[in-house]
Amino acid sequence: MNKYALFLGCTTPTKVLQYELASRWVCKYFGIELIDIEDFVCCGINQVNLSIETGLLMATMNLAFAEARELDILTLCAACTGALAETIEKLNDTITRNRINEKLRTVGLEYKGKVKVKHISRVLYEDIGVEKIKREVKKDLSSLRVVPHYGCHYLKPKSAFGGFEEPDNPKTLHELISATGAHLVEYETLGLCCGGKVFPVSEDLVDSLVQKKLNDLMGKEIDAMVLQCQTCYLMYSDRQKEVNKEYNKQYNLPVLLYPQLLGLALGADSVKDLGLGLHIISPDKIIAKVAAYK
Amino acid sequence: MNKPKKTLGTSTTLSINPEQGRRIEFKKPVSTSELDQNFKSLVLLYPDAQGLNACFSCGTCSAGCPIHEVFPEYNPKKLAKMVRLGMKKQVLSSPYIWYCATCHNCEQRCPQNVKFFNILNVLKNMAAKEGYAPAAWVEQTRQVIETGIVFPTEDNWVKKREGFLLPPLKEDHQKLKKIIKSTSIDKVKPRVNSE
Repeated sequence: MNKYALFLGCTTPTKVLQYELASRWVCKYFGIELIDIEDFVCCGINQVNLSIETGLLMATMNLAFAEARELDILTLCAACTGALAETIEKLNDTITRNRINEKLRTVGLEYKGKVKVKHISRVLYEDIGVEKIKREVKKDLSSLRVVPHYGCHYLKPKSAFGGFEEPDNPKTLHELISATGAHLVEYETLGLCCGGKVFPVSEDLVDSLVQKKLNDLMGKEIDAMVLQCQTCYLMYSDRQKEVNKEYNKQYNLPVLLYPQLLGLALGADSVKDLGLGLHIISPDKIIAKVAAYK
Repeated sequence: MNKPKKTLGTSTTLSINPEQGRRIEFKKPVSTSELDQNFKSLVLLYPDAQGLNACFSCGTCSAGCPIHEVFPEYNPKKLAKMVRLGMKKQVLSSPYIWYCATCHNCEQRCPQNVKFFNILNVLKNMAAKEGYAPAAWVEQTRQVIETGIVFPTEDNWVKKREGFLLPPLKEDHQKLKKIIKSTSIDKVKPRVNSE
């Protein structure tokens, strides 16, 4: 039995509910039990800008909440994954761990070092496996042409993920997408960052990065970009309007979160289970393509 | 190509003219009397900045940096060099240090295993203490202390969650409120823009 504490982060449960919905549905489908912990707070990744110590403290606090319930953590956001995994790496240093624990004890918490953090895609890849996913697929997605986008913190820093992925040549999302039967399209700017973490400081920098990737995808007859982080989602999906204005373009590329694509292949209800009605860029063409297959 | 202006927070505006190519960030030569010989040592006091001395300025960090590519003034190699030269004021007051997208390419590709991403965080922490933090990050921290997440509670998503039968989010995180103050992050003041 796979059982995890579900770490929602800040953005998914407030702005990208479709990712949470689809993730919960897919996990339920494969018998992955998700436990909600209401005490979880922001992973602390942005606080690092002003205070590395605060970031460390917030991440460790979350790890301690999971550890107290003897659970590993399943994340949805790539950045939360990176922040928590990097913190686990830093806490291997006894001096650091003791210092942080000293602070945590003032509120009755302690972290001993037992928690593992895995992104939902990694859980699907390692705990369920692409072969099992392939066997479960009920709909023919072969007419869908999609491109993957990994999200920087899903891959880097490499040391924090114990060699799970090769950051400059990643493969897990490719394989997970292939397992659904969708057609993968290769493209040059695969590794390009969405810029989401600089968004609060400069929206223009984000737009220039987003524009580069969208421009690369033009003319490739792509049905959707498939990604695994709600921040990347917001940059590539919801920023298209601004990018179009700023760069005088007409991009209109639907963006899906991986569990939504998987859910479609498994026969989930696109609106109720996968939240496909919540997208700014309509995924109706994708839904129609999938529905055409009986 | 129609290049946009780059903004820091909400009020500082930096104009970019792509025709200009790489602008020289500091036009006047820096005299040795302006350098702070202790700066590098101060930076190295932070465990996260270890490795700075191993940098041999090959520029692989800048070459692989997506921000540097669209905004050449943001230059990891140059910043690392400026720190080692003791250009404390220039580094800490620079708006560019806040432009990292945290993609980790720099450290992933560094042949010397220098974690520039971590060094930059140290520089940002020092800059924040000196009053150079962008308002956006200060505001976000205030928000986190209030609700535990980086966003305020909004009826819009609260209702949507109810509609989809998703569990409500807890808003009041007393433990976080209590311990976060031990790091003095709540004392950081936003940068006053003079440009």
